[in-house]
Amino acid sequence: MKIKVMAFASFREILGKELNLDIVGEATAAGVLAILASRNKRFKEAAFEESGWLRDYVQIMINRKRIDPRQDLSTKLNDGDELVIFPPVAGG
Amino acid sequence: MLNQAERERYARQIRLFGEDGQEKLKKSSVFVAGAGGLGSVVSIYMAAAGFGRIRIVDCDSVELSNLNRQVLHGSDDVGRRKARSAEEMLQGINPEIDVDAIVGTIDEDSLDRLLQGCDLIMDAMDNFPTRYLLNRAALQRKIPLFHGAICGFQGQATTIIPGKSACLRCIFPRAPPAATFPALGSTCGVIGSVQVTEAVKYVLGSGELLTDRLMLWDGLNSCMDEVACVRDSSCRDCCNKYNVETNNMWNNVETE
Repeated sequence: MKIKVMAFASFREILGKELNLDIVGEATAAGVLAILASRNKRFKEAAFEESGWLRDYVQIMINRKRIDPRQDLSTKLNDGDELVIFPPVAGG
Repeated sequence: MLNQAERERYARQIRLFGEDGQEKLKKSSVFVAGAGGLGSVVSIYMAAAGFGRIRIVDCDSVELSNLNRQVLHGSDDVGRRKARSAEEMLQGINPEIDVDAIVGTIDEDSLDRLLQGCDLIMDAMDNFPTRYLLNRAALQRKIPLFHGAICGFQGQATTIIPGKSACLRCIFPRAPPAATFPALGSTCGVIGSVQVTEAVKYVLGSGELLTDRLMLWDGLNSCMDEVACVRDSSCRDCCNKYNVETNNMWNNVETE
């Protein structure tokens, strides 16, 4: 199935604006993040703790609705779904 | 009532929203949290637009490395308190309004006093812990919070209407780590301008506010995007009514 990934803020500088993933079989948000991390070391370091947990402030949205990464990363994705990922910016 | 000088000063805005609208701005009291990059843009445009009373608070002094983006302050202000140069700049732009510039730290102890008499809160902070304080204060007082934040070419903004929209904590449950951010003045210009536009619309009651939406600005690719946000029913800042009641119940039980 095809999953569109959009990155914002500093993740966009690492991943680019948009990625289209072709995933065989079932896909979850966690699975998509694992694919991105395995392909891109800089993304892995930026998004994940050394322990392997997703950094707790990272925002993830599926079809533009925010999900709680502590609970919903195993949410199944459907063909054509869009996953948005970004860290909040905090400067002023 | 507007005086003759005000009618002339705001002529182009009166064409947009009438003298009634301009008077609504004049009657508004705004709190600008911070006189840095965002605070500069926010307060300058609010002063120019004629928000009647602007209270701007900052504890820092102007440094040379601020001047690429903090357009409230000039080279001659280096070493001076930001509140002082802010006051001069804003009053210079518009002597018709009241500027209340305060040298002070925004914290749990000071915020209640600082917000006395203010109808709107403009977030121009550089850290999430203080933003969460502003969020809680906005919720308690039931006054709107106009959030903005930047990093380099990137920025974000949203409008929070207590009781109606997702609050800052619903959108960002956990703060990113503190850091020294790269900052471009024009990014502050984009985001601060969005915040002021929102405040104008809120006061006038016109247009569609940036509530339950997070606007994302990517200056590097010249893209403006938005993501939907919803109130988090378990939000510890805005959906704690049930918890408060439960706590009271427990207190009563213990007292009995």
